[in-house]
Amino acid sequence: MIMISSIASKFKEKNFLIGLIITIVAIIVVGYYKPAVLIEGLQRSALYAIIALPMALLLGVVDVINLAHGDFMMLGAYFAYFLNVQFGMDPLVAIIPTIAVFFVFGLVVYFLTFKHAIGKTPLNQLLLGFGISYIFTEGITLIATNQPRKLTMDYVSASATIQGFTFGIYEFVYVIAAVVIFTGLQIFLKKTGTGQAAVAVGQNPRGAGIVGINIKWIYVLTFCISIALISAVGPMMGSRYTLFPHVGVAFTLKSFSLVAVGGMGSITGVVFAALILGMGETLVLSSLEYGKWAEIIYFALIIGVIMYRSHQRQVK
Amino acid sequence: MRIKVFIGVLLAAFVTGLFFTAAPVKAAEPIKIGAILPMADSTGIDGSRSMQLAVKQINEKGGLLGRQVKLILMDDEGKADKAAAALDKLVTVDNVDVITGGVGSGTTMAMIPGMKKYGKVVVWAGAASSKVEQAMEGQDWFFHIHGWDYQQQAAFDKGYRELFPTVGGRFEGINYFVAYEEGPFGAGSFKVFKPLAEAAKQNLQGEAFKSAFVGGGDYRAVLRHAKDFKAEMFTWLGYANDAIPIMEQAKEIGFAPAVFAGSPPGWPKDFAKSPLSDGVLFNGYWSESIGKKNKESKAYSEAFSKEFKDSPVTYFGPLCYTNIMIVADAIKRANTLEKAALIKALEATKYASPMGDTYVFGKSKVISHQAYASPKLLQYQKGKQEVVWPFEVATAKMIYPFPAWDKRDKAGWAK
Repeated sequence: MIMISSIASKFKEKNFLIGLIITIVAIIVVGYYKPAVLIEGLQRSALYAIIALPMALLLGVVDVINLAHGDFMMLGAYFAYFLNVQFGMDPLVAIIPTIAVFFVFGLVVYFLTFKHAIGKTPLNQLLLGFGISYIFTEGITLIATNQPRKLTMDYVSASATIQGFTFGIYEFVYVIAAVVIFTGLQIFLKKTGTGQAAVAVGQNPRGAGIVGINIKWIYVLTFCISIALISAVGPMMGSRYTLFPHVGVAFTLKSFSLVAVGGMGSITGVVFAALILGMGETLVLSSLEYGKWAEIIYFALIIGVIMYRSHQRQVK
Repeated sequence: MRIKVFIGVLLAAFVTGLFFTAAPVKAAEPIKIGAILPMADSTGIDGSRSMQLAVKQINEKGGLLGRQVKLILMDDEGKADKAAAALDKLVTVDNVDVITGGVGSGTTMAMIPGMKKYGKVVVWAGAASSKVEQAMEGQDWFFHIHGWDYQQQAAFDKGYRELFPTVGGRFEGINYFVAYEEGPFGAGSFKVFKPLAEAAKQNLQGEAFKSAFVGGGDYRAVLRHAKDFKAEMFTWLGYANDAIPIMEQAKEIGFAPAVFAGSPPGWPKDFAKSPLSDGVLFNGYWSESIGKKNKESKAYSEAFSKEFKDSPVTYFGPLCYTNIMIVADAIKRANTLEKAALIKALEATKYASPMGDTYVFGKSKVISHQAYASPKLLQYQKGKQEVVWPFEVATAKMIYPFPAWDKRDKAGWAK
């Protein structure tokens, strides 16, 4: 219901409606001619969404820049790998202890580092995040070496066939996770006092403090939730992708651009941005001749949105 | 007075004695061999362990020139900047006598200016790119013990032509799909395929993919193109990080060409344990199974296993062992570390290597000192790497065609 009401409110915006119609039509047309694009594009979009949503919470809602975002995911993946190797725990089951452990870890990291950069210039947060990212990747290299590691679970290569078309089903885990995280965040931000307080802190920290919101608590909580969510993506990806210390770096950049494209503070916008990026990349990749241009979608999207927003501001 | 003279003589004798006893201590300083490897990669792990094993064996037999041998290992982390810094440190700080090691062509290219500047004797185990060969033209101190890309591909091409007809397949005129990682390694290697495919009248199709090494990991689009292309042979050129996900995703979309081949510099350690590996063909130089037919290889594997309670998974294990042994053999015969004499001794190398071949330096297209093991075609069969070509060293018959995913046993192994 939350999700529906959120989308319904967006329908009032003319541009959003046009964009949504174009997106749905494009998906139907592509899905008819290229079912692989529809299914794998959806899966890829969901992966982008679950990686970008925790950043949307932290950057978009409470305005904290975490450049080590993807590295927390990497740590979560290594943690799940360790649980599997040492205790035989399935990576998907390992999501639960990962969330708990990394919520606490987020708390430690916050009080040791980010706490001192809140309210300062964005450059402080950028440098801090960069430093933390470096420590995490080099730390893991020291502990686990940069030798690639991969958990081989039978279900990761499970597939289904419909009318002669064979496709993988494991990555629907990302779709389920995206729905759960999106709905959870919507409930948190719109239906809970703490969530609404977080939005208020993001919009005007001083004002929020004046009206009695415990700003410090809000920063701590949102930071820890964001870290717990992004680290939970690690176990899901860890059994699908090969693990190595720098595996998270590329996802930090994509998360930033998705939050920028989706609009600061807009959880729904981030999901749509992920959908456009995932579908766009998969569509381009499906072409044998032009597949290598898939990466350009990411840049085209972010440049296009920045130009559009700039134009909108000038018109106003 | 006599007592003073006596004490003076005693002191003089003591000081002289100190001088003469100190001199042999200086002379007994170890011979330093520097090695640069990517220590966390499977190639570097096998390589460094094998070098340590070789040095241990040499020292147990009394060392070289009456001195112990010291191996100084440096980690290039597979990065160009780290490699160049490692070389500088070995030469300027550690003052090594000979430089060995090397895996990647990219890291080697970064070290070439330093190698030329210092002019130390280099016996290099890795780097297949012919760009490295061209950069080393005219350098008499450079000895290369790995095949160049064009040599490798021509040999493997010959192997395919000879091997496939024996198992009911063919190499000429097939639909051949090559997926290559988009970096210099993959794109450069793919270029070598084109003239060979033309000669074999093949319908060659290549496509780049983003390796997991640089944030990729979704190979389904490329695999689907290969499937749509009705590829009879599929080869991927990437890194160890790509190996298992490629097989998982090939299974996922039901892609099983008659020949499924991979060509990473090193395979992941646990790849053989996965049933997904069963039937995968690959190009290489060595597998532990060569020990069935080659005594040097058997001795090396046994010594490695005894020392590390483990087995090497890449040919860089025996190759790096060979690397040290060739240097040691040359120092022994030269009876000095003097550069010109050492180069002359290296030129006269004749070393029966655990790689299964005897190393003798000759000229390549460009450089004057190259020796390398004969390339081999290997296949994963029931968790082991078996040599399937050349026939004289083959340890198993090739499984052909690559077992379809739905025709395997419950665990996923070929029936």
